[in-house]
Amino acid sequence: MLYKNIFWIYLLFLLLTSFVLPSNCPGLTERKKWVISENSSLCVNGSTNVNKFSCEILAYGRTDTLTVNKSDKEIVLSGSIGINIQSFDCHNSMMTRDLRKTLKEKQFPMLHIIFLSLNRLPDLIPQPEPITGMVDIEIAGVRQHFEVKYKISIDDQRVVHLLGSRDINFSDFNLIPPRKLGGMIQTKDKLSVDFHLKMKTIN
Amino acid sequence: MRKIFISGLIAGGILFVLSYGGLFLAVRFFPALFTEYNNPLFNSDGKRDILFYLHAFIISFALSWFWDRFKVLFKGASIIRGLEFGFVYSIIALLPVMWISFSALDITVVMVLSWFVYGLVQAIIAGVVFAKINP
Repeated sequence: MLYKNIFWIYLLFLLLTSFVLPSNCPGLTERKKWVISENSSLCVNGSTNVNKFSCEILAYGRTDTLTVNKSDKEIVLSGSIGINIQSFDCHNSMMTRDLRKTLKEKQFPMLHIIFLSLNRLPDLIPQPEPITGMVDIEIAGVRQHFEVKYKISIDDQRVVHLLGSRDINFSDFNLIPPRKLGGMIQTKDKLSVDFHLKMKTIN
Repeated sequence: MRKIFISGLIAGGILFVLSYGGLFLAVRFFPALFTEYNNPLFNSDGKRDILFYLHAFIISFALSWFWDRFKVLFKGASIIRGLEFGFVYSIIALLPVMWISFSALDITVVMVLSWFVYGLVQAIIAGVVFAKINP
């Protein structure tokens, strides 16, 4: 009878403790969630042989979430932002329409930035801290893997500012830079993408 | 007919060099004039480039035929005949086309005026060439 009780107590102990993990156990994760605020922005800068252009999305207009999971092996940053191509404003209606057409807005109305990882967990201090991370950028149905340089900081209102920048090429996404008048006016292949995500920690 | 073809071909070659050479230099030295061409109205994939560069020959052959039919009306030295020919072509053909283009397309006055002047200069040069080759 005594052995039977010990057995049941042992079984109960196993059941109760098997789903609980101690906090200092190696290989476990530390999770943070950041909600992207609606006033985040994105800017695409490019040039032609006759002018420069800067196309912006000044208000993101959505509230997506990024999750940072820290483990021994890596820091996984998961989440994505979806940007409506229609929202781009190049401060010149013709340039704006031209960019939308080049990005095949009718077929692929959204541009996606999928966050994958960070090289280290940021300390989140008021001074901008340089970190790098991997992202996938999907434009016109083509997804490419890039390393992005970030600067991350936190302000007095506990808003996390994540500034990212990366040069990409139209040709990375099988897009042809516009050329007009038999190639006399040519848009350069290189585009510089800068984004500023304003986020709040929610856990 | 042979004379129309030969003078059209020669004028086409001259216009090709002057028109696209001039355009190249204008883009290089006056880039601000060309920013408005970053517009989806203009073909941007390069598939029609050959048609764009054939324009000098298309206008030359058309003007060569027109010259052959009406050259007796243009009198004086070659330069004067060429100038008058260019103005006649511009008033009859270019002005109405530019008018309808500006009224229907999302383009600027400067753009339309530049096209008018470009066509006028092309027609004057072609007229001078025709007056020399096919008087």
